[in-house]
Amino acid sequence: MKHASFRAAATTALLLAVLGALIFFLLPKYWVFLVTAVFIVGIALQSLGLVTGRTGMISLCQMSFAGVGAWVTGYLNLIGAPGGLAVWMLIGGLAAVPVGIAIGLPALRLRGINLAIVTLGFAAAFDTVLATITFPGQTTFTQVVRPEAFDSDKGYFLFVLLTYGVIAVVLEFVSRSRLGAAWLAVRHSERAAAANGISIPRAKLSAFAISAFISGISGGLLAGYLGTLVSENFSMMQSLALFAVATMAGAHFALGAIAGGMMIVLFPELLRRLNLPQDVGNVFFALGAVQALSTGETIAETWMRLARKLRPTRAVEAATAAGSLPDKTSHPAGIALEVRDLTVRYGTVTALDKVNLKVPAGTVVGLVGPNGAGKSTLVDAIAGFLYRYDGSILLNGSPLEAISATSRSKLGIRRTWQTTRIAPELRVGEYIRLAAGPISESELESLLAWFGCPGPETLISTVDVGTRRLLDVAGAVASRAPVILLDEPAAGVSYDEALKLGERIAAIPETFGSAVLLIEHDMDLVRRACSAITVFDFGRVIAAGAPAAVLDMPVVQKAYMGVEFEEAAE
Amino acid sequence: MDSLFTAAVAGLSAGGAYAILGVCAIFTYRLVAVVNFTGAAIGAAGTFAMVALFELGMPLLPAVLFGVAAGALAGLAIGLVMTTWFTGSNASTKAAVTAALLVGIIAVGLRLTGGQHPHYFPEIIPGSAFRLAGVEVTWAAVTTLVLSVAFTLLTEQFLARTRTGLQLRALSQRPMAAELIGIRVRLLALGVWAVTGGVTAFALMIIAPLRSPDFASLSLLVVPALAAALIGAFSSFRAALIGGVMIGLIEGGVSAIGPVSQYRGAVPFLVILAVLLWSQRGARWDEAR
Repeated sequence: MKHASFRAAATTALLLAVLGALIFFLLPKYWVFLVTAVFIVGIALQSLGLVTGRTGMISLCQMSFAGVGAWVTGYLNLIGAPGGLAVWMLIGGLAAVPVGIAIGLPALRLRGINLAIVTLGFAAAFDTVLATITFPGQTTFTQVVRPEAFDSDKGYFLFVLLTYGVIAVVLEFVSRSRLGAAWLAVRHSERAAAANGISIPRAKLSAFAISAFISGISGGLLAGYLGTLVSENFSMMQSLALFAVATMAGAHFALGAIAGGMMIVLFPELLRRLNLPQDVGNVFFALGAVQALSTGETIAETWMRLARKLRPTRAVEAATAAGSLPDKTSHPAGIALEVRDLTVRYGTVTALDKVNLKVPAGTVVGLVGPNGAGKSTLVDAIAGFLYRYDGSILLNGSPLEAISATSRSKLGIRRTWQTTRIAPELRVGEYIRLAAGPISESELESLLAWFGCPGPETLISTVDVGTRRLLDVAGAVASRAPVILLDEPAAGVSYDEALKLGERIAAIPETFGSAVLLIEHDMDLVRRACSAITVFDFGRVIAAGAPAAVLDMPVVQKAYMGVEFEEAAE
Repeated sequence: MDSLFTAAVAGLSAGGAYAILGVCAIFTYRLVAVVNFTGAAIGAAGTFAMVALFELGMPLLPAVLFGVAAGALAGLAIGLVMTTWFTGSNASTKAAVTAALLVGIIAVGLRLTGGQHPHYFPEIIPGSAFRLAGVEVTWAAVTTLVLSVAFTLLTEQFLARTRTGLQLRALSQRPMAAELIGIRVRLLALGVWAVTGGVTAFALMIIAPLRSPDFASLSLLVVPALAAALIGAFSSFRAALIGGVMIGLIEGGVSAIGPVSQYRGAVPFLVILAVLLWSQRGARWDEAR
């Protein structure tokens, strides 16, 4: 994992170095000057890709953040602050961070569209403000001084390329870290992310803060590139065009950011040479973005898919155990999870009616019942996804009321979902680390091997649904939580695989130390895995006890199979 | 204080237009589930069609009618894009589509209308209606206000009482189910787009003479429109109506306060910020997350 991110970072750095050398030595001065702009826009695009592509929040004011960075850079230049452009643009980037956070705050607990509205509003407001206060030195035509070593146009190209490289490499590391995985998880499903103990506000705010910082730096670079700036450089139209291009090109990929930068800078140049009006470019970008949104695939993704086709296809490699699994985690003995008189109402419907349930430490307890009996509502309530319920839920004897889903997950209640919610862009290893937190390489490998999962470098999008269900369970188990709630883990899994899964689930307590509450319709799996079961119907507990005895009870058969009492008795 | 009042009243006509735009935004969101960033741009297309016809010598009334029709057509065009390719997409994707389309529409609009090239915007409803505490209230202000109130009430009644309204509500809640019981979903959705396009065009025609009348500025009136829609939480027409008028009044008031008058364009943003911060107090886990 670690060496994988090193390899990716090294590849990026090497490619940029080669590309830079080719441009520097082969292209004439005019083109080097143009290409410099490609990389500056590329940085802005990367910042947008982080928020919009990775975290799934629409930001329409990215150039305003750049404007903040550029304004601060211009101001520091005007007062002759020490350190030169490199320091000024860093300060400019830092100045954009609080702005980014302030704008991100109102969208923290709401859906992404609200962020689109608030960012568009900010872009409009920033336009008015910038038109009024103007850039420092704009009226006196004070040029922003470039760093001495990089003063010529070719030299400044190197400076920009170097900055681009540093940002790209750092982003490569970040995107493969747990934080990067958290961003993708938030984009895919906020609830699933929270269930893995990820703080949604922190993930969103960090994405916004880092994005604003990078964007601010691109503004500083632009100040050094153009010398003097006008407010039109950072207008709302620029932000919107940047958004369209990022959407079309896939700015959260290093490749897409450069491709997008080339489009923004070189397309108008092409139009100019063809004597066509340059604003045609924006129409093209808009259409390209709509096309990308309708197919769900950006230009960068198309290229990568085609490139993968050229490469010989490798079969999905199963994980091989590097060593034995570490000893099971010891959790307090006694009742791990207790549900007392839990009542949940949706309007006039009572989904759960004074439900009581105990999951002793070190056991697998089954929860069965027909569709609509309230099983998933119970899981939602335990995991903290219900706004309101009556009664109490206790983890190792301490009540969980008023504790958020994220905190409950951190305290030790992990859940899976009826349909898999793993972000398909993640790799197997990244997902397990996202769910488990810090975990050693050998433990990760042995865990995957124990479940019969593919190796850690396998992309989730390439594995089938049955395997993803296994990964759901593996992730919850890897966290070593005292209580694991499995919501129909065998749904969508073949019969043979379900039996294997049953054996694995039965072995979870003795191998990992966690207690399991298993919801399942597959009775063979339930018999195999559980030491006790509880049966629900219409939100009430109708039976509880040892699996064989409970499943033979007439009332259970009637509720579950629709078998009439008389028929069952015969 | 008096000047503040005068200025606030001057913001009335803009407020009425914001209210209409905000109600249209909610209309689109509730019925076809799209947060529409192109709303004002669609209206701007209709407005400029009217101006072009007027400049060609057409009398005002037919020019206005053709302009409204052009707005409806522009709305229809966006509607065709949305219903053809994005019916099954999630709300976030649809919003992204309209945001991307906005760039293209503004580019085309600026090209066709000659960029910043000044046009003569006829005052459709000229003159002063009456004096209120010594302040002139224009017919334009009265018209936008009356129109916004009428449009809000009509929309509410139409949705609540007519058969088509019922079908539209069914469409908005469960498009697939609506289609399965034989409602012509696509036709209705396109109808919604056309109607909002026409109404927006008319609203913008009234206030265009008061604005810097280029295509981009008119298109960006989508910001106060969405701010008004947010005040209505994208569900209440009446709250959006009041919100839109309030934004207009505040803008008017701010432009009278010397030191900050330059920043009146920031008012909708501050309103959005405040409304969102307030409304996320009770945010909870729902299916959309």
